[in-house]
Amino acid sequence: MADFAAEIYQNEFLPDGGTDVHAIVSVTCTGAGAAGAAEGDEAAEIIIVDTSGSMAGDKIVAAQRAAAVAVDQILDGTWFAVVAGTDGADRAFPYPNAVSPMVRMEPGARAAARQAVSRLVAGGGTAIGSWLRLATQLFSTVPQATQRHAILLTDGKNQSETDEALQAGIRQAKGVFQCDCRGVGADWDVSELRGVATALLGTVDLIPDTASMEQAFADLMQQAMGRGVSDAQLRVWAPQGAQVLFVRQVSPQVEDLTARRTDLNPLTGAYPTGAWGDETRDYHVAVRLASKPLGSEQLAARVMVAVRDEVKSQALVKALWSADDTLTTRINPAVAHYTGQAELAEVIQEGLAAKAAGDEATATTKLGRAVQLAEATGNDEATSRLRKVVDIDDPATGTVRLKRGVDKLDEMALDTSSTKTTRVKK
Amino acid sequence: MSDAPQAAAEATPDAAAPQADPQPAPQAASQAAPPSDGQLESPVELDAPPPPVAAVVDCPVCGTPTSAGEAFCESCGADLGRGTPLAEDTPDPEAAPIEITSRSVPAGPARAAGVVVVLPDLDARATTCLACGGSVAEDGYCEQCGTPARRPRDHFVELPVPWVGGVCDKGIRHARNEDAMALAGRPEPASWAAVVVCDGVSSAPQSDVAALAASRAARDVLSAPESEPPLTADELLTRAAAAANDAATKVAVGVKGPNPPSCTFVAALVESGRAVVAWIGDSRAYWFPDGGTAVQISTDDSWAAEAMAHGLSREEAEKLPQAHAITRWLGADSPEGPPRTVTVDVSAPGWLLVCSDGLWNYCSAPEDLGALLTATQARVGAEPVALAEALTMWANEQGGHDNITTALVRCG
Repeated sequence: MADFAAEIYQNEFLPDGGTDVHAIVSVTCTGAGAAGAAEGDEAAEIIIVDTSGSMAGDKIVAAQRAAAVAVDQILDGTWFAVVAGTDGADRAFPYPNAVSPMVRMEPGARAAARQAVSRLVAGGGTAIGSWLRLATQLFSTVPQATQRHAILLTDGKNQSETDEALQAGIRQAKGVFQCDCRGVGADWDVSELRGVATALLGTVDLIPDTASMEQAFADLMQQAMGRGVSDAQLRVWAPQGAQVLFVRQVSPQVEDLTARRTDLNPLTGAYPTGAWGDETRDYHVAVRLASKPLGSEQLAARVMVAVRDEVKSQALVKALWSADDTLTTRINPAVAHYTGQAELAEVIQEGLAAKAAGDEATATTKLGRAVQLAEATGNDEATSRLRKVVDIDDPATGTVRLKRGVDKLDEMALDTSSTKTTRVKK
Repeated sequence: MSDAPQAAAEATPDAAAPQADPQPAPQAASQAAPPSDGQLESPVELDAPPPPVAAVVDCPVCGTPTSAGEAFCESCGADLGRGTPLAEDTPDPEAAPIEITSRSVPAGPARAAGVVVVLPDLDARATTCLACGGSVAEDGYCEQCGTPARRPRDHFVELPVPWVGGVCDKGIRHARNEDAMALAGRPEPASWAAVVVCDGVSSAPQSDVAALAASRAARDVLSAPESEPPLTADELLTRAAAAANDAATKVAVGVKGPNPPSCTFVAALVESGRAVVAWIGDSRAYWFPDGGTAVQISTDDSWAAEAMAHGLSREEAEKLPQAHAITRWLGADSPEGPPRTVTVDVSAPGWLLVCSDGLWNYCSAPEDLGALLTATQARVGAEPVALAEALTMWANEQGGHDNITTALVRCG
């Protein structure tokens, strides 16, 4: 049985007239077990492989091997299927003539699936929306599976359908399954794939070359299989008259959850967080209160973790109005750290977008700020990725010059990893 | 709350700044009420009804100013949660002695026959939010508006007999109520009463616990059956101060930090038209004879008082940066010595007031405080708790910068 613990890091003291309360909520899950292992739980996995024409050659061979390795990692008893994506989508396994759209993993099915993926051939276009639609259909045949997850691999842009079609595919898939997206090579669009991953509570990342594909797939599937809690909800209660300014996951990566809110009651909103393994995720919650007289205390938020409508843990965010400046001017280190990290992700993405649009002045300013933030928050990985895109004159002031002839892959690596945060030292 | 205790010679301008102390609400009752020694002599201990709400300046719902004693806001009708007056529960002096065992505290120590003591349950927690009427969740905050459930320790009332009553209130600026009081009396008006007020030093942790333990320990000594041979009032008060000091010192066990919990002490023993007042620190006793000259009975053990003794005017002395640093206090690191005592004739009709600096800070001179009392009585009447509530509210209206304790004895 999985346990959740929620801890609050905040400065509860507000000055006279202060209204905004910021807190970092650190949520840790232990005892999650394996996917589908808990009583009453079943898991379903779909591997979606881009088999468009551009995959021909080394890439399709690597994709076959990677898909086979992923199949190996799927635990027995898990419902699964393999989708081959082009300008349409085909079920590569179970075979199109099979009776059941998804099958449960067992040694025979594993051998058959390995054989099926070894026959994947490249040809045709790229229409990711249609791939998502087929996966949604397949998952809907196993409603008993409480945990539904897909891995999506592509090497190109979504050229064979309209963006509306892609968005429609995302909308259908939303809430049906989680999807981790991986792009191989330099010809896919980071923000396009990020849109898919964000909506489907997954991650986006770059696989720089075909040699890394097997490992990337093995890791992804292992991680998915280690998530024994199918769906946890973050719930935020705020007092009457208060406003939840934002709810943002800040670790292991930045993800704004604010718009994912559904109201449980007039004071409490629920934010889906997907499946959990044994891990810690940090959230930044900001609430605006009506100011109260000095000396007053008020609960600013109750932050809860709920699994299937059962509250597993609760932590309290408080507000205390004080005349003591030494208390009210303190900024909690965790709040400061993650505020910087969230801004870092934002300025990297904005800087790269400006650079792509030819706006060098904006790109220089934004990426300069990114260098400054990465330095200030001790995010060395971000600093080393930024170095491949800009020449740094002074990290403290964020004085940089755009590099000429930057490797596209370095830019994409900077973009995809922009949301990855370092944990604050507590 | 008093400022940090300081030997006057060592006083520095910064050290006395009050600090809000984030300690949790105290668990004081068990320390304050030692187990019975089995020699109860027809004592009367009453469970107090839920103590009334803090003397709010404004209605928590609509913001309209409210008066002490109003149960509902005149403007919006919100329940102000002030509860029923305690007077209804005080025993008929002609009735046989009654014994009501408190649910929340063990049976108390031995008391002299006919002495009435109230033990408010300071650990109980409200289930209804006083700010909005919502329910209080298990985490101690309102489910609707997030207001913390009021802690009884933040505002409590004692009215052991109809002529002796007091209010102990957190004030507005402080996070905790580190003041405490303990009252006792015999039912017959102006017959016998004991009033103790202690003011916890806010720069030391657990001073709220120490103050409550000290005040109740002193009351236990003052209300005990007469010893053989009988002690003089001065001797009894000195013993009460020693017991209060022991109780405050015990709180220090297990408390870390350079400043052990500490508090002030002032006690008045009223009997046969005479009041003997003993004090350590800057909590005060005043005598206000009806239509007569107001008198400040105690002289603060404070930097300001020492300055006044050296010729500074009250106004000048109380403006000194160190004015409120006290030179004597109770607690593990307290200076040695008995309390100072003064005896006053209180046979004429009038009010004996025992209070903490949360009240007198806004009205220090006896003639000013006397005028305030007279004006307030003209407005709210002569019931001790109504009067004390009104004075508490007045102090809160002046800013409520400190905890406020106001205990009144109707004499004559």
